[in-house]
Amino acid sequence: MDLAALEKQLRTLQADAATQVAAATSTAELDDLGSSLLGKRGAITEVLRGIGTLPAQDRPKIGAIANEVRAAIDELVGARRVALSAGELLERIERERVDATTPGPAPRLGSLHPIPETIAAISEIMSTFGFVVAEGQEIEDDVTNFQLLNIPEDHPSRDLWDTLYLQEPGRLLRTHTSPGQIRTMQAGGPPIRVILPGRCFRYEAVDASHGFEFHQVEGLLVDRSATLSDLKGILDELAKGLFGSAARTRFRPGYYPFTEPSVAVDVSWPGSKDGWMTILGAGMVHPVVLENGGIDPETHQGFAFGLGVERIAMLRHGIPDLRAFLENDLRFLAGFR
Amino acid sequence: MKIPLSWLREFTDVQLTAEQLADALTLRGLEVRGVERWGANWSKMVVGELLEVAPHPKADRLQLTKVRIGDGPILNIVCGARNISAGQRIPVALVGALMPDGRRIERAEKMGIASEGMLCSGQELDATDDGDGILILDPSAPLGVPLVDYLGEDVIDVDVKPNRGDLLSILGLAREVGAITGAPVAYAARPLKEGADAVGAGLALRVADETLAPHVVLRVVDGVSVAASPDRVQMRLKAAGLRSISNVVDATNYIMLELGKPTHAFDRAKVGDTVHIRLAKKGEKLETLDHEVRTLDATDLVVADERAALALAGVMGGASSEVSPSTTSVIVESAIFAPTSVRRSAQRHSLRSEASHRFERGQERRLAALGADQVAALLADWTGGLARAGRLTSGAEEMPEGVLNFRPSRVRALLGVSLTDDEQVELLSSIGINADAAADATKIVVTPKRSVSAEKGGARAVRVPSWRSDLQIEADLAEEIARLYGYERIPSTIPSADLPSHRPSPTLLRDRVRRLLSDIGLHEVVTHALVSAVQAELWSEPTALVAGGLAVSEGAAGGDSIVLQNPLSVDHDRLRQSLLPSLLDRVDANLRYGADSGAIFEVGHGYGSTKGTPTEWTRLAIAVWGEREQGAPSAGAMTWNLDELKRLLAKIAHLVGERPTYGAPVESAVLHPGINAAITGERIAGLLGELHPASPIWREEPRILIAEVAVAGLRAGRVEIVNVTLPPATPPVQRDIALVIPATTTVGEVVAVARTTVLRASQIELFDLFAGPPLAPGERSAGLRFTFQPSATGADDAAFSAELAAFEGTVLRACGARVRGVDGQ
Repeated sequence: MDLAALEKQLRTLQADAATQVAAATSTAELDDLGSSLLGKRGAITEVLRGIGTLPAQDRPKIGAIANEVRAAIDELVGARRVALSAGELLERIERERVDATTPGPAPRLGSLHPIPETIAAISEIMSTFGFVVAEGQEIEDDVTNFQLLNIPEDHPSRDLWDTLYLQEPGRLLRTHTSPGQIRTMQAGGPPIRVILPGRCFRYEAVDASHGFEFHQVEGLLVDRSATLSDLKGILDELAKGLFGSAARTRFRPGYYPFTEPSVAVDVSWPGSKDGWMTILGAGMVHPVVLENGGIDPETHQGFAFGLGVERIAMLRHGIPDLRAFLENDLRFLAGFR
Repeated sequence: MKIPLSWLREFTDVQLTAEQLADALTLRGLEVRGVERWGANWSKMVVGELLEVAPHPKADRLQLTKVRIGDGPILNIVCGARNISAGQRIPVALVGALMPDGRRIERAEKMGIASEGMLCSGQELDATDDGDGILILDPSAPLGVPLVDYLGEDVIDVDVKPNRGDLLSILGLAREVGAITGAPVAYAARPLKEGADAVGAGLALRVADETLAPHVVLRVVDGVSVAASPDRVQMRLKAAGLRSISNVVDATNYIMLELGKPTHAFDRAKVGDTVHIRLAKKGEKLETLDHEVRTLDATDLVVADERAALALAGVMGGASSEVSPSTTSVIVESAIFAPTSVRRSAQRHSLRSEASHRFERGQERRLAALGADQVAALLADWTGGLARAGRLTSGAEEMPEGVLNFRPSRVRALLGVSLTDDEQVELLSSIGINADAAADATKIVVTPKRSVSAEKGGARAVRVPSWRSDLQIEADLAEEIARLYGYERIPSTIPSADLPSHRPSPTLLRDRVRRLLSDIGLHEVVTHALVSAVQAELWSEPTALVAGGLAVSEGAAGGDSIVLQNPLSVDHDRLRQSLLPSLLDRVDANLRYGADSGAIFEVGHGYGSTKGTPTEWTRLAIAVWGEREQGAPSAGAMTWNLDELKRLLAKIAHLVGERPTYGAPVESAVLHPGINAAITGERIAGLLGELHPASPIWREEPRILIAEVAVAGLRAGRVEIVNVTLPPATPPVQRDIALVIPATTTVGEVVAVARTTVLRASQIELFDLFAGPPLAPGERSAGLRFTFQPSATGADDAAFSAELAAFEGTVLRACGARVRGVDGQ
């Protein structure tokens, strides 16, 4: 074979390729065509097999021609690919089209119960002021639940708490979270800023606003200088945190054996229905209680407050009946996101 | 305590409306439960005047009346009462009036004659107990005026706190009102005329125990005639919430409300020669006024005569000496009894009375004589009686008025207000706590057990009125000052003193677990801690919980169930140990509400007692049933099954750095004996499985799956910092081993062997499990996939192989499982 014959073969190949490329109808066909022409075992390679028969000085020349033909075909294939793939893309889009506006399966969503969540909300607000969470015990003794809190045996103030007693003498289910005050003070000295949430029990008939199991959050602050004025400031912030920044508080004298002076706190906020709602009891820790907790009432003073979690949750979420919390109807719980 | 305002006005001037007064009292710490208009239910009733009363032509029992009601037309009203005559003013229910008992007054024909309304008896008005005659009004009653405007009464109901027994009286509340309004408060005692006979003639008083009855006063009133009280008295008592009994009993009740002093009237004829105040004999019987025969205890204080107990002192009188219509002479007993003794007796006999309520809260001594005298004065007025001369008395009348000192600087420091010393003293004086400049103001009572000395000139002394026995320590005066100053005037500040050191929250892990589960799609529930015996018996302690590495408070507890002494009902008479019974109770409720699918969890407490020591722990319980996720046109629903539950538990275990291991099934009344496993681990342990088919809430579809686990840190929180190594560039490698497991072996055992022998595997999972041909019956083939992370050099490949070889050997020896094939890259 001579140089001219080889060149002719290549040029024919180039011309045929142009026709074939133009005739290709898909990128897949074009890919096959491309490799049949340009690939390792393709037509150009096939033609160049004859290169060995050429004189040495002609070999570079035919190499250059082959590269030229290869580049030309590659360009043709490339141009054709652009044209074909645009159409194919459109066709793919049409082929794969679905109605994506179907509603989609509804996920089964979970929820967090409003009682622990309300406790968490209170804890979060109070953490701003350095209060940390601690948890007491629900099985208490008469001494800590009552006597050390300045509620002696046979005192009429005991009537404020109807108590569930255990069969074991002296043991009872705590009627409030306040014994946690004693346990906290006994466990470590001031300064104290602590939030004590938990379940409480009372011998009480169940109705829309009472239950024999319920939850309270106790707060206790003891340092060298806490005042009733500080208590007002803290509880203002708590009320705003729970009921919105427009919430207003009203403080009036209350009575608890373990605080002196004692405070009852009412709150009113734009969404509240019935004016002033009583939300908590509080006061300056009674000197006898400080003494019972091992703290000298001449060097330290403090305040405590206690609120009913169910009541707060009812007011915040507009729930009319406290029994819903222990009923745990999934349709009710699903409302808490 | 219900206060008719007209009664209050007898002691102090009140210009405020009932609502204004209620608000002012509430802000002073006397919480008003409600304000009511007594008589507000008298609709369309007015004051009328009888112009004519004539016999009914056809009925002897009836009379025809002409009634004027102001300027309107004269009404013809037929009336059955006999106590009426022309000229009287009477209450008239007009046509259309609604009576308190719900009856509506219509125009009616009575024996042929039209009646245009009704004349009302006290009983029909629910104003007095007199149902026989018409309520005859004062001649000055204004004609035509609505009855409620004439006879009605504003009543304020005050919630009196246990420390303020002095406020269980109209006079006591008048003192508080006077402090608010600044108007003077005065009590004008009724003068008492005494007869010639001495009280001691034929009657003696013996007090056996002066600690329990420190002061006793008796009076005798002769010549009483027992009848109904005057109408105005009956109405006033009714407005104050008491029932009228008779003029004698009403006199004692009237003084109890007025002064707060309970007294008791005995029929003199039924009492012997000596009144004894003594402890009862054990087993002694007493029939109380409610006609219950009480068996007395040796610690009950009684009023007795030489023969028998007559009354339970301070609590209730006895039937044998009760005042009756035939009574002509009464003994009025007015005593001070020890509060604790009265309280214990009232509790022991479940007999709380208006009297015991007041005695429990302490009584001012001087009230004993005053109360007896005032009852006697009322008896003279209402029953025609005459008091005998003098009183029989035991014990001292008056305790010395107490002096209490306080440091105004301390009050400022406690309240955070800048009231001067003088301002504080002045506030106290508004309520009768007056400064005593002469007293030594050195000793400061900080607590009943502790007093300190005030710096010279740093304290003030005040005299505490005899009725304020609640004021004992300095802080009590601080409260009075704050209360009188007004809480609303105390500023709001934020405490800026020393802060405690940081302590991690015990709820850190608990909150992560709760959020994880709710994000997965479970609903958190809060259920009863108090359960029934039947529910509690469902629980049997899985050894996995007891024997694991967890602390008792972390749930690895048990012990005996804790039972209440005074349960409200058998449904809630003991504390739960497991959360599952109360959780399943809520599954049951939700199935009844139509929840075919559901997923709930609770992080809550269990309770148990070991050798008398109660413990509490925190566990997580889960119940799931039905669909885990809904289906869609393109995919079927996902249903809860054992593997889905395990996927969930693995996520929780991951939070405490553990992979749950499933051990031998648990024997439990709540778990399907064939579909359950124990979860064993150092930091997570418990059980899971399907609900027992014998459970009353079990159903074929959907199956209910449950789990209860103890997790380390769920109660106390857990702060753990883990070390994490950077992964090498080499990819992980996997080796699969297929094993034939004999019928006697569980997959859990095989996996447990794998976990203890192939320690270098970062993950071991079961990717295949099947039974049937070509395997022998009972045999199963299990495919385990081990994932290893080679080091950068890959030099540990031999070590992996060695571990796998060890596993193959051990699993054959220990479980009889033989290798079917090995595959690995």
